[in-house]
Amino acid sequence: MAAVAQAPDMNANVQVKKKNSSAVWRIVRYALIRLLTLFITVVAGVFLTVMIANMGGYVDRIRMGDIQESVAMGLRGNPAYNALSAEERQKRLDAEIAIQAEAQGLNRPFMVRTFEFMQNAMTLNLGRALKMTSDSGSRQVQAIILERLPPTLLLFGSSNLLLFFAELFVALYLSRRYGSWLDKVFVTLAPVSTAPAWFFGIFLILIFAASLRILPFDGMVDAPVPNNLWDYSLSLLRHMVLPVMAVALNSIFLNIYSWRTFFLIYSSEDYVEMAKAKGLTSQDVERNYVLRPTLPTIITSLALMLIGIWTGYPILETVFNWPGLGRAFYQAIQFFDTPVIVGQTVIFAYLLAITVFLLDFVYALVDPRVRVSQ
Amino acid sequence: MKARLNSVLAVLIIVSLLLAACQQEVVKTVTVKETQVVKETQIVTDVQVVKETQVVQVQVTPTPAAVVRRGAWVDTMVFTSIDQSANAVAQLQADALDLYAYLVEDPDVKKTVDADANLDYRFSYGSWDSMLLNPSGPTFKDGRLNPFQNQKIREAMNWMIDRDYLVQETVGGMGMAKYVILNTAFPDYARYADLIRPLEAKYAYNLEKARSVVKTEMEAMGATLSADGKWTFNGKPVVLIGLIRSEDERQEIGNYFSDQLEAIGFTVDRQVRTRTELAPIWQQSDPTEGQWHFYTGGNYYPVMRRNDASAFAETYTSLTASTTAEEAFNPSPELLQVAQDLLNNNYSSMEERRELFAKALVLGLENSQYIQVLSTYSFFPRKANLEVASDLSSGVGGSALWPYTIRWKGQEGGVVRSANSGILTGPWNPIAGQNWIQELMLIRGTMDDAALTDPYTGLNLPQRIEKADVQVVKGLPIDKTLDWVSLEFVDKIDVPADTWVDWDAKKQEFITAAQKWPDGMTARSKITVTYPADLWNIKWHDGSSLSMGDFVTYMVQTFDLGNPDSPAYDESQASTLEALMQHFKGVRIVSTNPLVIETYEDQVDLDAENQVGNYFTNRWWPITNTGPVAWHSFNIGLMAEINKEAAFSASKSTELGVEWLHYIDGPSLAILKKNLDKAIEENNIPYAPTLSKFITADEAKTRYANLRNWFTTKGHFWIGTGLFYLEQVNSVEGSVVMQRNPDFPDPADKWSGFGDAMFITLDTTGPAKVTAGQEAKFDAVLTYNNAPYPADKVDSVFFLVYDAAGSLVMNGFANAVSEGQYQAVLSAEDTKKLAAGANRIEFIATSKAVAMPVFSSYEFVVAAQ
Repeated sequence: MAAVAQAPDMNANVQVKKKNSSAVWRIVRYALIRLLTLFITVVAGVFLTVMIANMGGYVDRIRMGDIQESVAMGLRGNPAYNALSAEERQKRLDAEIAIQAEAQGLNRPFMVRTFEFMQNAMTLNLGRALKMTSDSGSRQVQAIILERLPPTLLLFGSSNLLLFFAELFVALYLSRRYGSWLDKVFVTLAPVSTAPAWFFGIFLILIFAASLRILPFDGMVDAPVPNNLWDYSLSLLRHMVLPVMAVALNSIFLNIYSWRTFFLIYSSEDYVEMAKAKGLTSQDVERNYVLRPTLPTIITSLALMLIGIWTGYPILETVFNWPGLGRAFYQAIQFFDTPVIVGQTVIFAYLLAITVFLLDFVYALVDPRVRVSQ
Repeated sequence: MKARLNSVLAVLIIVSLLLAACQQEVVKTVTVKETQVVKETQIVTDVQVVKETQVVQVQVTPTPAAVVRRGAWVDTMVFTSIDQSANAVAQLQADALDLYAYLVEDPDVKKTVDADANLDYRFSYGSWDSMLLNPSGPTFKDGRLNPFQNQKIREAMNWMIDRDYLVQETVGGMGMAKYVILNTAFPDYARYADLIRPLEAKYAYNLEKARSVVKTEMEAMGATLSADGKWTFNGKPVVLIGLIRSEDERQEIGNYFSDQLEAIGFTVDRQVRTRTELAPIWQQSDPTEGQWHFYTGGNYYPVMRRNDASAFAETYTSLTASTTAEEAFNPSPELLQVAQDLLNNNYSSMEERRELFAKALVLGLENSQYIQVLSTYSFFPRKANLEVASDLSSGVGGSALWPYTIRWKGQEGGVVRSANSGILTGPWNPIAGQNWIQELMLIRGTMDDAALTDPYTGLNLPQRIEKADVQVVKGLPIDKTLDWVSLEFVDKIDVPADTWVDWDAKKQEFITAAQKWPDGMTARSKITVTYPADLWNIKWHDGSSLSMGDFVTYMVQTFDLGNPDSPAYDESQASTLEALMQHFKGVRIVSTNPLVIETYEDQVDLDAENQVGNYFTNRWWPITNTGPVAWHSFNIGLMAEINKEAAFSASKSTELGVEWLHYIDGPSLAILKKNLDKAIEENNIPYAPTLSKFITADEAKTRYANLRNWFTTKGHFWIGTGLFYLEQVNSVEGSVVMQRNPDFPDPADKWSGFGDAMFITLDTTGPAKVTAGQEAKFDAVLTYNNAPYPADKVDSVFFLVYDAAGSLVMNGFANAVSEGQYQAVLSAEDTKKLAAGANRIEFIATSKAVAMPVFSSYEFVVAAQ
């Protein structure tokens, strides 16, 4: 009897185990396929970056032109060569051009170098820059990136995070007070954010640095750099005010308007109305019936915003002379420094792929409706 | 949820702050005032530096008024980076900056500076715009006609360009019409101004003349002018492809040139693009394919050239070609010969040189593969009460005298905040570091030199040289201007047997003349430099005394690094060494106290002063283009190079995949520190077989201890003997701070006269009407700062008389009447030669203090007798 009685339990257990094992297998399979897909996407993205950064090989000609020009100018300006015969000069010129061309790998076929770039990039062997050096003088791409990462994180990481959550809270607040004068103010100001941050930056510099002279024009800290951490931090904060304001003006009104509209749409769902009708407090309604279902979207926005910091703000950083990643990327493009361009891009691609991969699981954690399909 | 999010936020901000804070060393000394002593101690590990700073207030007795300030006028130099000139000027106006050392070419920015009484500027004249014409043809490979293959059409392009219009319209007056290749601010232009000015008059704007020449020549080439006024060839329009640079005034110049070409019947395909887009087309394409017809070129001289003789070969021949465009140049045999003679200094007197220039100037304009268009001026803005010497060619950034002259007017001390477009752009090392002008300006602040270039004349002046004696064999065109050099012409110069003439990199010993040339050797010149008696009192920044070891190490490295047998061989140094060995004949240390060094050399400059000062291997002062060479700081880099841990040159570091040695920051510091420890342990003397005769074990011990203390205190290995030492390097923050070197031996006012250039102001007066057959007198009044120009500074005042058609009628030298006043007297016979109507007299005044000549014209009417 007991055996008979136990049989359904065992079957049930077996079925549960099978079901669990099937679910795990499905998750693993999904994860593997997802990883493979993302990896292929990264490979394709990096290959395209390598090709675009080199303009399909045309950059080699530009580099060669640069070398010829700089060597010729150097030779002409060097009195040590004055006494040489024309033939000797030409010999020196050709030899120097050959040395520099070889140093940049221009003596090897473009496609060979392309696949080397690919291989090194995918294994995160970022190698050496062709022309750029890090601020502290190293040609390692890793050093160039790592030196610029903290200032970027500091300025844009902190300002974007602060702004992101400020925008969410204000948007929630406005969604509750739809049609109020404050709501109308933000709706009216929303188009202001269409202007780029650097545009605001220039105006802010003109007002607060050039005219009022109360804030610094640019840079990260004063020069000379202050002696102690306290003074350094104060100086840093003073230098952050204008760029943070520029970033804020560039995004805050439009983002608040967008989030507020987003929340408004969710706030008018039937289940929210039902919750209100049941007499739940507005805080409970907001937390459990508005914020909860919108969490995947919020998390996605947050994650992509954080990843976006990696590319920096090239023009804004240039306007404020801020030593960030965006400016380094911009300089790399100007110099046609492919290793730096590829280095930054491949890291961005990996970060993006990892984020997208993890977001799938985060969605499942925060939203019970999300499941791996059968 | 909120709490979690807030936590994440807080953690991220804290991490960001910490990461950013990690970018700078925790403690750095900022300013050292006269009343403070800043004592710093550090605990040094292999790669980490932990600092403690103790600021001790010390009461100093007020300095007596009679004490002369030594070293730099200012206490502190702060360098930062600003990319945009308009931004820099806004910061100057807001008192956030004192000097912008980058050369600005924007006329609108100049207007802002002009309008602000607190700002001032100084022009530099090293840049110019030109038009490169493709000389291939007469037809390209696909059968299209190339009119620019025809020399007469190329020559006619000169008449087609209204250069004065372009000066006003494209550079807002910041420039000057340019017709010949010689730079208007360089001595050779002044030297041959009497030859050049008539040519400039001859090639002045004349569109109808251009049209006429083009018509004749195009028809001769088989082209026809269609009914709509367009040139056609084989039934197709003659389309000229213009490569027009888009970044600066050359876009307007290119469009103007295109408009003019269209006005005389050509069709123009305007390709307006950036340098990087256009360079492969004109530099690397086959000119016979006809991918381009003209290119808007731009050029720049980073230093003033007193000898511009090579300019013709560089511009009109393929003798120094580096592009396919230049390789296609096809000058006439006569021009080729003249250019080659000038390039190789194949002349025995200044008169012979003048004749060659006279020919080359005429033939160059007839050839016109490059059409010269504009000399453009750029300027560096600064506070009006800031004085600093600025090079005529490259501004303050290229001036060797800037550290010696920078000063707040009438003041001692203070801080100067200087910015440039980009600083810390690459590694600093004394052998082959970053040589961009932005870096070199900073590096010059830390270096002293044996001779310094006069920024206004290009002549060398003695800084650490007591005297120099130059001997040259008879028949060489060399002259002297200043008293610190003696010049003697001799029949023959023998190289003494014990002279060091080469280097055995394996044995690490010098090769003597007797060993290399048992039968003896002669040289074309001998330079004997006597250094000051107090030479050995000079201190490196780390407190070490200058010694013979520095000089001999400098000599050795000159020959060693480019030698394939050297363990530190660097291929990129080989080319320079090979070039040197073509003309170097030896060096000999005559005495060490005082130090006297003889150099035997086949390369001879036009000026005896520059024969000494222009060449590192003639003055032997331990510096290179990129930094000071103290033997001990150089040696730790050399050890790293030999161990293949790092390399002095960019190309070798790339080849080996190691760090490019950077003496002031970054991963190189750990490598240098490691080698310093090793050097201390071994008491290492570089190139010991030779240098142990000049460097004692005690000196080595002291030097390394000093360098270790210096690194402990300052956190870098950069030491010089200059007016400033490197106090702070803030790489990521992008600033560098230098402090006045208190041990610098010279009085601060040693170079005071060079804070301002003595440009001549020239005014011309004379009769408005001249009667033919009667004497006429015209006056040239030369002033400087509203006072008569000192007679001893005037080089010459020349005059030219042109008729109404612009043809030269007569010329001559004006006579000195009184200080600053010169007179051109046209005798009765002279005025008889003048045609009735409008005539013009032009004065050309040249100064010994400033290379750039000045011009002034005066129109008068000639009436018949």
